[in-house]
Parts: sequence; structure tokens; C-alpha cells
Amino acid sequence: MTVTPVLSAQSIRRAYPLAGRSVEAVRGLSLDVMAGEWVAVVGPSGCGKSTLLNLLGAIDRPTAGRIVIAGRDVSALGDAEATRFRLTGVGFVFQRFYLMPTLTAAENVELPMAEARMPRAARSARARELLAYVGLDGRAEHRPFQLSGGEQQRVAIARALANRPALLLADEPTGELDARTGAEMIALLDRLNHDGTTIVTVTHDEELAQAARRVVHMRDGVIVDDVVRRPLEATA
Amino acid sequence: MPPAPRPLLAGLLAGVLLLPTFRPASVSAQVSTPAAPRTIAIDERLAAAAGLAVGDTVRLAATAGSPGDLVRIAAITRRGADPSEVARNEFKVRLHLDHLQSLTGSGDRVGRFAVRSRGAPSGDAAAPDRVAAAINQSAFGFRAYPASAVAVETSSTFRVVNRFHRAIGVITIVASAIFLLCITLLKVDERRRDVGALRLIGCARATVLRAIVLEATLVALIGSILGAALGWAASAIVNWYYQGVYQTPLRFTLVTPGIVGFAVALSLVLGVVSGILAGRRLVRTAPLELVGR
Amino acid sequence: MIARLAIAALTRRRARTALTVAGVAVAAAMLLDMVMLGSGMRESFRGFIDQQGFQLRLTPRGTMPFDSEATVGGATALVATLRADPDIVRVGPVLGGKHFVAVDTGVVAGFLLGIDPAAQGDYRLEAGHDLAAADEIVVSTAWLAATGRALGDTVRVAGGYDPQLRRATGERTLRIVGQGRFQMLAASDRAAAVPLATAQAMGGADRADRVSVLLVETRGAADAEAVAARIEASEARLTALSTEAALKFVDERLGYFRQLAFILASVSLAVGFLLVTTLVTVSVNERIGEIAVMRAIGVARARIVSQIVLEGVALSLAGATLGLGLGLVTARWLNGILATFPGLPAAFDFFRFEPGAAFRALGLLVCCGIAAGVWPAWRAATLPIATTLREEAVA
Repeated sequence: MTVTPVLSAQSIRRAYPLAGRSVEAVRGLSLDVMAGEWVAVVGPSGCGKSTLLNLLGAIDRPTAGRIVIAGRDVSALGDAEATRFRLTGVGFVFQRFYLMPTLTAAENVELPMAEARMPRAARSARARELLAYVGLDGRAEHRPFQLSGGEQQRVAIARALANRPALLLADEPTGELDARTGAEMIALLDRLNHDGTTIVTVTHDEELAQAARRVVHMRDGVIVDDVVRRPLEATA
Repeated sequence: MPPAPRPLLAGLLAGVLLLPTFRPASVSAQVSTPAAPRTIAIDERLAAAAGLAVGDTVRLAATAGSPGDLVRIAAITRRGADPSEVARNEFKVRLHLDHLQSLTGSGDRVGRFAVRSRGAPSGDAAAPDRVAAAINQSAFGFRAYPASAVAVETSSTFRVVNRFHRAIGVITIVASAIFLLCITLLKVDERRRDVGALRLIGCARATVLRAIVLEATLVALIGSILGAALGWAASAIVNWYYQGVYQTPLRFTLVTPGIVGFAVALSLVLGVVSGILAGRRLVRTAPLELVGR
Repeated sequence: MIARLAIAALTRRRARTALTVAGVAVAAAMLLDMVMLGSGMRESFRGFIDQQGFQLRLTPRGTMPFDSEATVGGATALVATLRADPDIVRVGPVLGGKHFVAVDTGVVAGFLLGIDPAAQGDYRLEAGHDLAAADEIVVSTAWLAATGRALGDTVRVAGGYDPQLRRATGERTLRIVGQGRFQMLAASDRAAAVPLATAQAMGGADRADRVSVLLVETRGAADAEAVAARIEASEARLTALSTEAALKFVDERLGYFRQLAFILASVSLAVGFLLVTTLVTVSVNERIGEIAVMRAIGVARARIVSQIVLEGVALSLAGATLGLGLGLVTARWLNGILATFPGLPAAFDFFRFEPGAAFRALGLLVCCGIAAGVWPAWRAATLPIATTLREEAVA
């Protein structure tokens, strides 16, 4: 049986101009991620992890190479299409949560659905459902400043899942959390992956990396090691 | 005799700097060679409009169609800086009194006499009033008005315009005050993180507040100096424009040291007050909140 | 959701939003006032002229109505000729002059109009009845107050005053039959109207069969300008002034106020624009991270732009709404000041609220608010997402 990867990055490069010359943060990297996988990208600071995640999430565009997600070449998308892809194709979780401070938890989750023109009643119901899933069913009407760091990150995950993306991308999701809350976050990601969500995380967190099914090591913009710690079941 | 009632339309338009004056005889510019023409003076606007120059001979008549007299232009006059002359479009022609009387058939009549009292030049301010009262007591058929009373009467229009300008000034000051408060608030708000960081590293509230107030004051000072320069330039443009439009040497706007002083002082007060208001709000906020934690 | 975010952005810092709205309101009020000033005088004057119902004013050649003491002779023949013109419906001859009434304390002087009661537009009767006989007089309220007389009284009125002999001339005994509001005169003016023949007779030989102005009503379909040109061509002694020409004359003389209005209105617009631009720019700078996140999670550029522009619109709309009320109040205040101009008709307004012009001006302010939001909005929508997020994280 041939399994089509959810994500396929082929020889991608990303160069930035710096002090009059070009510096490559990602240098000809290739990576395939299968549906249901949970990949943790690890490596020292400045090795290009976050740049890779931005490229995979169509936040940034590669200077060379090709990225296909759910059968769609995202490396060649124009701004409007890339925006649309970010809205429905991937879910992004940031290290610093980045919730809209003026909106409630439920409204934050509803925001991508509203942008995707989902009817008000449907998005409201899904927001409640997602908040319940991440364990925040009693906090829907709270604003970000009324929530703890862990709770804010849960809201951010619920927001990322709002439009049922094919892939969840998380940039240091435990980076701002204490050890206990970080462990809760890892458990939540594990549950998500177990329930079928494909996840790519970038992390320094050893525990998070240990929880992932596969760990990709990066150095100087390239993958130096790729270890499958828990293979997907045959059903995947 | 009581003053004549104000004519209908002129009364309405007195609101725009007009007061009834004698309407000059009409002029037809037909240059010819007279035997011994009387001389007249015309204003420069008429000279420009009719293409006349000193030495030209023209026919001057009191009414359209009447033969009139041939006269020689002996002088071209310029309008004085008299506000009551502004916006009057009529051309002015000056004639010798007896010439005008004969031309208009007025006989030995005059519209008014100007009288100079003995006391006035020596600084006796009450002299004109005394003379006017004496004339009114003794003379038949005259009503004497001291120059100050005439000035009050003729300047009433300008007093109203002045009050109007002051009212506009009040509105402008309110708008500027709000604008300045708003800008200071925004500028101070922009510094939330810096202020938070300063407080976190141990700077006292008073020190931070002083720094904010000083900054607001400097902004107000520089702004008001620039504003004064801008006002001076705007005033020059306004004067240049209206002096051209109305062909008068009258200065329409004046930027006096008093006005500049008032504007700078007002800006400084507003700058300090808005700096204090905005700064107090900021230094009372928890430093961690200011840095966004 | 976009509206919700825009409102949230504005209410996040209430003090500054309130100040900006207040600033825009003052600017809007000033703008409205200046628009009212710009058109008010003209429209007010047009109102006066239209109220009279005459399209043309015929005056001695080269003069404006009542701007001098000039008169035209042969009035009876002139009126007859004009009335024979098929394009002319009505002719109202008017002779303006002075009159004097002896009272206990001296002499009251006033303005006297000789009119044809069947064709006049100079006063509106407020009490009593109109002139029906040669010995009747209609007077203003100020006249009654100054002379201490009342409707129904009989009064000796002189058409002139000989200063040498200190004696009245052209005296008549007249009955006060009406009290009128003389529309082109100030409320404080002592004005009176008598039949034209009476006024001519009171003026002596100098005024016999003479008029100061002839008011002419043209037939509906006739072109007033063409009739004016025809009259001027056939009657060299007359200047025919149409309503439009009179308005043009007023425009010329009131140019100062219109220009002042234009300058201040432009400044008001600029102030409103600057205020909104400043607030929206600062507000966007503060939320640059949030905007980058919104872009990162898939919110379209157009949405970001519309949210930020919406903020500008909300600020300008709130300011314009407040400014409308404030403008009407300040206009009353300013009108009160200008109403004290000497000799101004009581009903003359410098500031006149014309809904069309007012809403166009406020609409322009709102458009400025939209324009003010466009640049910061576009800047926010086009910022590089990844770089902005990294910078925000560092900050």
C-alpha cells in the first residue's frame, strides 16, 4: 500500500539578506510527514527550526524547493491563496499564545471560523465543543488576561483546530509554560495526535520531543537526524 | 439734525465693512484738448481700470448722459489703510468743492465741515467735546460730533467683526487643546513598555513622571515655536492676498509679540497639564502590565 | 467579528478615543459652522429677495437699490410703459427718503418708503390693515416705540427738515393704520410706508413723479435676464438688476466671510484628518503583533484593512454626530455675535442650516476619516508576518 504524505517538503531553501549578503536559514531540506504522525523538530537556537515551521505554515515562502500539504503546493501560492490556506489548511500554535486580548476565549476560537464564513450558530457550537475538548468549557467567556498561561495556550490550540486543518503546526508550545502546565500541554497534544491530528512541533523541550512519534534533528538549516520513536499503526 | 437713516441695502451690507459714502459722478474717458480744464484727482483703481494717467483730460458728468465738464487728471491717489474703505468697489474722484457744487447743481451747499479745535493738538482730550457742545448750543442747522463719537459709530462694524474673530479664536483654542491633549496621551501611551522597563529597573515614579512631563513640555514648546512661525507665514500670505484683492495697504492680520506669547504660554500650560495627566496614569499602572506581562 | 474587533480596539484605551472623538467633534462643528456661514448669508439674502416676489429691481443707472439718494423722473410714464410689456406681470414703484415726526423730546427721524400697496414687497403687515388711502401710514414697531404712538392714532409727519429755519417741510397728517415688519431693515430702524403719491408730495418739487426703485415681477416663463437686458437697452436711465446679479453683488461684498469660511473649513478637515490618522496609526502600531497573528491564522488582508478603516470611520462618525449638535449650538452663538452688526435686518442669518450642504460637509469629514485609516491599514495588512512575529516576541 502506498501512503501519501500529508506534508512533503522537497529541497527547500530560505535565504535572508543580512548586512549586504545572503544568509540561508534553511538549506535544501526535505521532509515527509504522514497523516497521523507527530513530528518534533529539535535543534540548537538559530538552526532554522522556526523558519522551517513558517515555511510549512505558508507564513513565509521558500526561496527554492517545493512544499506540498494535503496535495497542494503551498510554496507557489499568492498572498490571498496562502492566507486562505493558513485559514483552513493548517492550524498554528505560537509560543506566546497570541490571543486577541479584546476577545473572549470563545470569540478567539470563533475568529478563524468567522473569517471562513461559518454561520454564527455553527461556529459558536464548535467553539464550545473545542474549548470543552481542551478542558476549558467553563472559561469560554473569559478574556486572555483572566486566563493562566496554560489555559491561554489551550485556547490557542482550540483556535488552531477551528477549521479542521490537515496539519497542526506548533512553535515551542510549552516554551512559556511551567513544568506542570507544560506536561499538561504535552498530554493534550498526545491526545490530539491519538485522535488523528497530524502535528509538527518545533521545540527545545526534551519532554515534548520524547512524547512525539518522530524526532527530526536540525543543524545549520538541514536535517541531521530523523528518528521514528513510535511508528504509526498499520491503519494509518 | 438727527443723522440720516441708514439706506436699505447699504445698511445690510454695512455688516461687510461698508458705510454709506458719497457716490462719485460718473466718468467717461474721452481724451481731448481743453482750453482751461479744472483738475481732479482719481484713485489708482480707476486709473488702472480706465487706463488713465496724470495729465489725461476726461469728461466728468454728474449724471449719465449730461454733458459735464472736461477735466484734467492732476493726481492719482492711493487708498488709505481705512477699514471702512475695504470692499468698496466704487471708484473715487476728488474735485475742488466749488467744481463739484457746480457740476451737481448743489449751489452753495456742503455735506459736512471738518473742524479742528484749538485744544486738541496740545493734548486736551476734552476739547473736541467742548467745541461740539458749544456749536450744538449756538449754531442753527448743524449738529456737531466729536471725532471720537464718529469713530465709535464707524467702528461698530469692526467691533462686531472683532468679537466674531475672538469667538472663532475660542473654538480654535478648544480644538487645539483637545488636539494637544490627545497627541500627548498618544505619545506617552506609546512609551508604555519603556516606562514599564524603567520602573522595573527601579526608577522612582516621580522620576519617570518628571521625564514624561519634560518631554511633553519640550514637544509643546517646539510645536508652539513652529506654530508661531507658521502663523507668521500664514499672516503674511493672508495680508498679501487681501491687500491684492481689496487694493488697500490695510493689514488684515497681525502677529504681535503678545499673540505669540499667549500662544506659546497656552501650549506650554496644555503640554504640562496633558503630560501630568497622561504620565500619572502610566506611572500608576503596574510595571509588569506596562511591559505586557 | 471584524466590527467587534474594531470596537474593541477603540474601547481599549477609552481616554484617548474620547479625546479623539471630542477633537473630531470640534473640527466637525467648525466645519459645519463654516459651511453654514459660507452659504447662509447668500441664502438668507436670496430668501429676502424671493420673499418680495420680484425678479428685477430697476434703479437709476449705475446705482444699487437705495445705495444713494438718486431717483428717476417721469415715474408714471415709466411704470405705464413697463406694465405694457407682455413679459411683465407687476411693477412696484418705490420712493425712498426721510421723514420726521415731532415728539415731546424733539424730533424722531426715520426712513420713509412711498409704495404702491398693490405691488410692494418691502414690509409684511403684522397688525392693522394695509394702506388704502393717501393719508394712511404703516410703521415699524421701533417707530411706534420711538414716537410713543399707537395704531389708529393720527400723526403729523414731515417729509423734510429745513435746518436753517428749523422747520419741517412737506408736512402731512397721517393715520397709523398698520404695523409692519420692514424686511430689509434692522428691527431697530424707524421705518414707515405711505402711498407713493403721498411720499412724492411730501418730498416737494424735487421728488415729484420720481422713484428710487422699480420692482418688477416677470411672467413665469420669461427669462428675467433677457427682460433686464431689454429694459436697459430701451431705457438708458435705468440699471436692471436681476436676483442673480444682486446675489453676485452680495457675493462680492461678502467675499471675506466666504473666504474665511473656506479657509477655516479646510483647516477643520485637516485637523480631523490628522487626529484620526494619528490615533489609528498609533493604535495599529500598538497592535502590530495582533495583526500579524491574525494574518498568520488566515485572516485576509482585506479584512485587516476593513477593520482598521472601520475604526477611522467609527471615530469620524461619532465625532461628526457630536459635531452636528455642537456646530448648531456654536452657529447660534456666532450668529448672535454677527447679528449685532449695525443696520442688519432682524431676520438675516449669517449661519443657515441647509441639510444638504451640512450633511455633504460631514460626509466629507467621514471620507477624511476613511482616508485617514487607509494608510495605516494598508501598512498593517502588508507587513511581513514572520518578521513581525519574531520582532514582537523579542519586544
